Amino acid sequence: MADTATPAKARVLVVDDSSLVRLYYRTALETAGFEVKQAINGIEAMEKVLSESFDLVIVDVNMPRMDGFTFLRSLRSGAADVATLPALMISTESGVQDIAEARMLGANFYLVKPVAEAELVRHVCVLTGATL
Amino acid sequence: MDDSKGGSSHAAHISPEQVQRFCEFIYRRTGMLFTESKRYFIDRRLEDRIAATGSSSFQEYFSLLRTDADHEIEHLINSFTVNETYFYREDHQFRCMTASLLDAIVHQKEPGGTVRIWSIPCSTGEEPYSIALWLMENWPQVDNYNIEIVGSDIDTRALNAASEGVYGDRALMRLSRDVVSRYFRPIAGGYHQIDEGLRNSIEFTRANLIDPQDMRQYRDFDLIFCRNVLIYFDDASRRLAAENLYDCLQPGGYICLGHSESMSRISPLFRVSRFPDAIVYQRPEADHG
Repeated sequence: MADTATPAKARVLVVDDSSLVRLYYRTALETAGFEVKQAINGIEAMEKVLSESFDLVIVDVNMPRMDGFTFLRSLRSGAADVATLPALMISTESGVQDIAEARMLGANFYLVKPVAEAELVRHVCVLTGATL
Repeated sequence: MDDSKGGSSHAAHISPEQVQRFCEFIYRRTGMLFTESKRYFIDRRLEDRIAATGSSSFQEYFSLLRTDADHEIEHLINSFTVNETYFYREDHQFRCMTASLLDAIVHQKEPGGTVRIWSIPCSTGEEPYSIALWLMENWPQVDNYNIEIVGSDIDTRALNAASEGVYGDRALMRLSRDVVSRYFRPIAGGYHQIDEGLRNSIEFTRANLIDPQDMRQYRDFDLIFCRNVLIYFDDASRRLAAENLYDCLQPGGYICLGHSESMSRISPLFRVSRFPDAIVYQRPEADHG
């Protein structure tokens, strides 16, 4: 299947504890031409970013075991190659404090759910430098 | 006893009395009522099971059934349940779900809250998968809630097929090409397998609608699809099933039945709710006693 002649697709890691939400984001992004991997919480996401390379991580806030803020803090204090990974936070939390905390921890952008497919793709394109 | 040659496709003679005994047995175990008028349907399945178990007569088979040797009751139930369905069947109810029901349901919930939807009987998975697909394609709030979809059936063979998620063209006929290409991958023999992430996002379990013990494990559903199964039950089993389902619903939760079924004729517990796309039934918010 691999075709070395075509440029590599941008790789996105989707981190959300809801399987249907992961599927919804993944399908939207795959349809737009991105390569998508998934993790169900911050711990699994940390393992993935340390072992594979990504162009963007999309992360939910409220997740069991390790939430999105804790994940972001670990990510930004990690080694240089993971610390600079762009992060898009998407959450049901719409409070000013949550958004401020996300920015303080180094989220590149914060979206409040629900996020429509076109809106998701548009932000992912901006953050990965991809064009549709 | 050995009045047939082993493996013969001709069934041993089954008398009307034997059919009656057999039907009573099926009724006691499953609530499904078959009468002499469905003799052909019964005979065909009985012949299959007599041959499959290597029994030489109805009598021998019936003894085996009553002792439940090799889980024969389960095999028999599997052969008697009707598993033919397709994606987006009776889609006016799915339209009702995303246009009206879910808004009413989430009105009571915080963003990020859990919405529980139950498909029973789910047969080979078309209905619960349709619910998930419909939500992703049509409900703008799909990522704003934690949606849990459970598919249950009495037929374990159907449940295995549901988990596999492999379908032929007939099952997919109502889906757009776009939806098929987004959520299915073609496999050998012209079949399509549904996305692994989607398969893993639905919990498939065995449940018997008329077994209160079984049904007690299922609680707090916001929405139940129970379509085209109550028609197989007699009045008593139908009411028992409906009242079991009532207990499985959250107060204020809704149930969708098949187009020819009416809860008003089954149980007085539910309230009729008329929406532009469908008539559904609601467990009232509270008993004002």
